[in-house]
Amino acid sequence: MSALRAASLRHLWRHPAQLLLALVGLALGVGTIVAVDIATASARRAFELSLAAVNGAATQQIVGGPRGIDERLYVQLRTQPPEPLLRLAPVVSGYATVGKRVMQLIGIDPFASAALDAGGAGGTAFAVEGVGEVRAWFTAPGSVVMSAATAQQLHIGADGHFALEVGGVTHPATLIGRIADAGPGFDGLIVTDIAQAQEWLGATGRLSRIDLHVAADAAGAALLARLRALLPAGLTLHPTRAAGRETFAMTDAFTTNLRAMSLLALLVGTLLIYGAVSFAVLQRRTTIGVLRALGATRREVLALVLGEAAVLGLAGAICGMLLGLVIGRGLVGLVSRTINDLYFVVAVNEVSVPLTSLLKALAAGLATALAAALVPALEVAASAPQLALARSVLERRAQHVARRLVLVSLSLALGAGVAVSASTHSLLAGFVALFLLLLSVAAVTPAALRALAHGGAWLVAHTSTVARLALADIATSLSRTGVAIAALGMALAAMIGVAIMVGSFRESLRQWLLESMRADIYVSAPGVSDSLERRLDPQVIAALLAVPGIRAHSEGRRVTVDSASGPLDLNAVSLVPASYAGFRFTRGDPARAWAQFRAGAILISEPLAWRLSLAPDDRLSLDTAAGPRAFTVAGVYREYGNDRGEVLMDLREYRQWWSDDGIAALGIYLAPGVSSAAAAGALRAAGHGRQALLIRSNADIRELSMRIFERTFVITRVLYWLAAGVAAVGLVSALLAWELERARELALLRSLGLTPAGTALLVMGQTAFMGVAALLAAIPAGLLTALTLTDVINRRAFGWQIGLHLGAEQFTNALWLALAAALAAGVYPAWRSARLALAAGLREE
Amino acid sequence: MRCARSLHSSAALAVVLAGSAQAAVPPGTSVVPGPWVPPGKVTAPAAPGFAEALSVRPFVFPRDHGPHPAFRQEWWYVTGNLDAADGERFGFELTFFRFALVPPEVPLPAPAREEPGTQVASAWRSREIYLAHFAVTDVARGRFRFAQKLERGALGLAGALGEPLHVWIDDWSLGGGEAVAAAGAMRWRLHATQQGYAIELELAPQTPPVLNGENGLSRKADEPSAASYYYSIPRLDVRGRVLRDGRALTVSGTAWLDREWGSGALGVQQSGWDWFALQLNDGSALMFYALRRRDGSRDRHSAGTWLGASGETRPLADVDVAISVTREWRNARGDRYPAGWHIRVPSLALDLGVRPVLPDQELGTTPRYWEGAVDVSGQRDARTLGGRGYVELVGYAAER
Repeated sequence: MSALRAASLRHLWRHPAQLLLALVGLALGVGTIVAVDIATASARRAFELSLAAVNGAATQQIVGGPRGIDERLYVQLRTQPPEPLLRLAPVVSGYATVGKRVMQLIGIDPFASAALDAGGAGGTAFAVEGVGEVRAWFTAPGSVVMSAATAQQLHIGADGHFALEVGGVTHPATLIGRIADAGPGFDGLIVTDIAQAQEWLGATGRLSRIDLHVAADAAGAALLARLRALLPAGLTLHPTRAAGRETFAMTDAFTTNLRAMSLLALLVGTLLIYGAVSFAVLQRRTTIGVLRALGATRREVLALVLGEAAVLGLAGAICGMLLGLVIGRGLVGLVSRTINDLYFVVAVNEVSVPLTSLLKALAAGLATALAAALVPALEVAASAPQLALARSVLERRAQHVARRLVLVSLSLALGAGVAVSASTHSLLAGFVALFLLLLSVAAVTPAALRALAHGGAWLVAHTSTVARLALADIATSLSRTGVAIAALGMALAAMIGVAIMVGSFRESLRQWLLESMRADIYVSAPGVSDSLERRLDPQVIAALLAVPGIRAHSEGRRVTVDSASGPLDLNAVSLVPASYAGFRFTRGDPARAWAQFRAGAILISEPLAWRLSLAPDDRLSLDTAAGPRAFTVAGVYREYGNDRGEVLMDLREYRQWWSDDGIAALGIYLAPGVSSAAAAGALRAAGHGRQALLIRSNADIRELSMRIFERTFVITRVLYWLAAGVAAVGLVSALLAWELERARELALLRSLGLTPAGTALLVMGQTAFMGVAALLAAIPAGLLTALTLTDVINRRAFGWQIGLHLGAEQFTNALWLALAAALAAGVYPAWRSARLALAAGLREE
Repeated sequence: MRCARSLHSSAALAVVLAGSAQAAVPPGTSVVPGPWVPPGKVTAPAAPGFAEALSVRPFVFPRDHGPHPAFRQEWWYVTGNLDAADGERFGFELTFFRFALVPPEVPLPAPAREEPGTQVASAWRSREIYLAHFAVTDVARGRFRFAQKLERGALGLAGALGEPLHVWIDDWSLGGGEAVAAAGAMRWRLHATQQGYAIELELAPQTPPVLNGENGLSRKADEPSAASYYYSIPRLDVRGRVLRDGRALTVSGTAWLDREWGSGALGVQQSGWDWFALQLNDGSALMFYALRRRDGSRDRHSAGTWLGASGETRPLADVDVAISVTREWRNARGDRYPAGWHIRVPSLALDLGVRPVLPDQELGTTPRYWEGAVDVSGQRDARTLGGRGYVELVGYAAER
């Protein structure tokens, strides 16, 4: 056994490059998983901490519709409580901008909040450092507190004065104290008195919610029942945790997609380990054959190979974890930016590294390496000692395997088809299908390479002997290059698939933006999309509409309303005739749908229809200010702006049911001949000094939307480049080893008259051919992958239907990658073979 | 990692600071620091913009039962001893404080722009904070329980009205719509709830208001600003219910009302006080506050009032009353409180022993103070005399 181990060590020691590359491949795969875990866990943790900080001991909350709750309900619950010791606290929340940063603005009543947390009796709350006077909290205008870390990030000076913008209006604010012992949950929070928050947010008389602490026992349940009975129509009582979960669940589809991408990187890594181990075994066939002949048992050989793999796996996993920590830090920023762009405001300032994800990575690395090594290990252990010595047997077997793999590939592809057709909504099944498809590509690539090489050899048979030889050589090298080529093929297919998907999505979005942006100029109050404070000042609206050259205008109010299916985005609009053409119906007859819409029915966007399985003539119940009301769905329209979907309602209908007369946005239609730029300038002047406005032409909005779109897919790109990187490393490693190994062949060719340059060309040509072959196999597979991504994954995750748009640019990355990897792999062997000392090369035999 | 604090508790800065006012504003004492001044540390100067108790003023009732918003602080302080129908005995304290944050003329911050037809200023803006303490002494069970409430004087959450008297925080209240003036007699309702105990009581004054100090002007230190207006109703007949763990007990007894308002603070050298409000069973009553100086001696501004059985009153100066401590009690934190007194008023031939009905009647608020029911036994003019009352001890708990 010690002879075995010594042989093993010596082999690994003599092939450090190969070892290193396999290690890098595995580390990249594991690292990607860890990185994605870290990024999503950090975002989740930041969200939870912020929620915990804001909710405190609250177990339940009373919430209203978009307009919140009448504050008189709170006074009533305080002065005539349904139970004497009811613990409750009012909260007004919204968003404020300081500099460029969007902050959550929370207005509280410090007494009620302290009592809620302390258990009702006068417990001692802890102090805010540096607050000299409580008087300032209650009576000085613009008093706020925040965590010391947040104050530092906002660069607030010693005097505490700073400017804060809410809904486009700038207010002076003063930091009167820093919250002592504030954990990271306070990042991005500005806390102020409830009076100040109401005034800044333009929500006097209203509360965002009432927090409650109710014991989780029978008495608590009875109290909740009494409270529910007492609540006016339109208000609901929720467990606090559920509300938080619902909010974070918005990002589910997004994080699932990230996870899938990281698994892809590991899958590619697995193939590489398999390649490296089987290659290492092949190279040592002589040694192992001799050792077997000398009496090493099969079990010992098996243990040796698996032991090597385990060490490799462990080392790779550890490197991967470290790498993941580094990549993860980078990803945190990207993930939180996407969440902020698309879902909700969360400040992720701390990277949290879940222990479970590290353990998972370790296990994944180890398991991957062992699983990858199992087949070659079994194979070499099972073969008779003398067979292990015969190289030709191996090559024949590899070719045989390649043929068999075609069948495997077909059945994998079939499995993918079954997974898709057997399920309708399951995202998991979609991902299973995607992975089966990619594995199927991997399985078919060696055979494709062989067929291409044979075909090529036949074509050039009469023109160049050297070329024919070179191609035939490729065809017979599958035992060593097959796996690397398979991994590359798979990575290329994924790359092409993602590129096509992103390209198609981009094109669909672009067309949709062109169609739907019917107004010339859009004016809106700045702020977070559906927050309370985001409304245009009525006098500002009047001033804006008085600007000459306006032919017509539409009005919009975007809010979040509750429903039995959780919170839904509601877009209330008053449309003008020109607006109608901006909607493309995917279900329902437009003429009839519009007629119903004007009569009070709703339209829903594609993602919502998909998520809630709604079709025209179905009814959707929404919690109005007067209680739940079922609205008829008149049609389903295309909308790419909101991955959770939205409800479109006539503004009059909305006002009637939610008694909210706010307007957040105007769509301005200009008279013919009026320049958009001139009108925008006039509008800007009209609003100047009253309210900061976002005034954008439809072209600006299109551009902005496209920018956000590109930002959203940055992570996807990063991840697929990581997967591709793993594959490229694998190919370089395999080709390098192969080329070095056949030094003797090349020496023979040289001795037969091939020039050094010719030899180099030959080697480069061979590796380039392999790269191109992998690419050719990957193109049809990439198309299938793209179809799966757009029609299965995207549809199931978001409900969008995306038309496939193909463009040459979607393939160029893959082409460059294939060529770069192949050529990089060829450079060193080519250089070496050109300088080959013939005698030495021949002697290697 | 540091413990993640919750917003509800962390932003409750005001509670901490306002909490420090509570021990500073027990009855019987004069002027107290405002909520933003830690007691015993600073002498708040006379607050600019507020009215001050500088000279004797006429008291008009029932108007003066109500709030005096021109002054910075004010309190309504009710303590009493109760007997249940089954013989069980209770003590209670329900007290309301009003603190003005800004003088009446100072406008509150308002939003920069006012628009016609829209309500822009928040109704939560307030110029006053209200604080209340509610304590119950359950003698039979050996229990003492307390709770506190803090609320802004806005939106009807807390407030004080004059005629009829109504002071409230949330669902705790004194007076209210039921206050009736029938045949010259006021009746006030008292209502408060805490974990395990609630009171629903009706109070009927048995004596007219007694003006303490110099016709109601009570000076607590040399500083002219350290004075307040101070009157008491030493005897109120109490009837009603105590609810213990949800079970109602019919009770009756006698309560004491203390009313005080002013704008100043304690003297620099004063560290606390002992306040006695004793109702003797011959119909007389004794109120005396002994102010303690930092060096441990008694301050010469200590004073009190004697109410004779036939209704005559006599002010008592520092030198009129001798008090010695006969017993001590130590709380779990090691703070030592007096727990028994021998009080002598030679000019009245009065000699009284005072003992708490329970040793632990300390309110663990910030800061801590002791306020509890006591028994009185002694002699006047060689005649044996019994009685009950309340004692308040402030400034004994070490700050930490």
